[in-house]
Amino acid sequence: MTNTSITKEEIMAIYPKVAETMADALGREVAEMKLDASLINDLGAESIDFLDIVFRLERGFKVKIPRGKLVEDARGSLSEAEFEKGGVVTDAGFERLKSFFDEVPAERFKNPFKVADIPRLFTTETFCKIVIRQQRAAAAATPA
Amino acid sequence: MSAPSIPDSGLAGGVAIVTGGSRGIGRAIVQTLAAAGMEVVFTYRDNAAAAAEAVAATPGAKVSAEPVDVRDSAACAAFAEKFFDRAERIDLLVNNAGVIRDNALAAMTDEDVRTVLDTNVTGVFNMTRAVAPYMISRRCGKIVNISSISGEKGGRGQTNYAASKGAINAFTRALAVELAPRGITVNAVAPGVIETEMSRDVRERAADQVLSRILLRRIGRPEEIAHAVWFLASKYADYITGEILHVDGGFKME
Repeated sequence: MTNTSITKEEIMAIYPKVAETMADALGREVAEMKLDASLINDLGAESIDFLDIVFRLERGFKVKIPRGKLVEDARGSLSEAEFEKGGVVTDAGFERLKSFFDEVPAERFKNPFKVADIPRLFTTETFCKIVIRQQRAAAAATPA
Repeated sequence: MSAPSIPDSGLAGGVAIVTGGSRGIGRAIVQTLAAAGMEVVFTYRDNAAAAAEAVAATPGAKVSAEPVDVRDSAACAAFAEKFFDRAERIDLLVNNAGVIRDNALAAMTDEDVRTVLDTNVTGVFNMTRAVAPYMISRRCGKIVNISSISGEKGGRGQTNYAASKGAINAFTRALAVELAPRGITVNAVAPGVIETEMSRDVRERAADQVLSRILLRRIGRPEEIAHAVWFLASKYADYITGEILHVDGGFKME
């Protein structure tokens, strides 16, 4: 499943609800939320906040977001060996990350890139895309 | 049996999940929490008659029973979601469901090992993973795990059970660290020898030997464990987390 086909209109349609949900989880004002804000660097999120955000988005949008798949999805069709070596993303993996997280400003990607730093890429818009992908997956799985 | 009569434990109006609440210690916990004014749903694996009897034993209280095998993570998740959708809050989780299959290690079957670890350890992981997000999102909640004296002191023929309860102690401390920033406390109660069906074998097998090691020279009662759970669940324990509270009459073992 690619994410390039997600339009800005689709994202903006759900953004207000995603921003409100994330602000609630992070104890922030909705006004502080920005589409390209890094959850960790700009909004001070910790790993447990990701769990809380995923949980709230699942309930708010009635979708299922498989645990532990957030980073796995970013790897796409690359095998683990093709994607990273010794905790550092390979050149192929780096290109894959840039295309998967195409909503993230380019200056946030610095090669070499550590696997452990992937969560730092997540922005509010990243979560909008996750919700949209899961909504599409659910719609595709439902018999017409 | 009744709950301690201290006014306002902070539990009245709250909502609790107790795993394995049909009999023994679990049943006493359900009754005590209900007496403190909580709505309690308890799980049971397959003994519907015992569960129905436990519900009937608390007339007038908000007590219900749900068949959930804690070894099944999807079942735990579905149960937690369904319960939260109705109750709109989960204030307390008591991981009580446990089994015992004592035997000398050499004679222990794969099934003896698997059954004990799956229920006593994996079951706690499953239900806690299912319930914790509801507490995290509300920034409050209490988790009380039922451990055992076996988790720290060796008991003959209990390698599987002891390993499972030692794991629960470690789980309790690690989860306390993880959930503290979200206002959730995680503690355990470690019972000694308690008058239940589960401990009947050890009580019958080695009654004198067991009693000689208990400083208070008597077997504990299920409600004495329930009162410790009540305390850890109450507002009086708001500042306690990562603790293993031993309720064992001063049990000593060489």
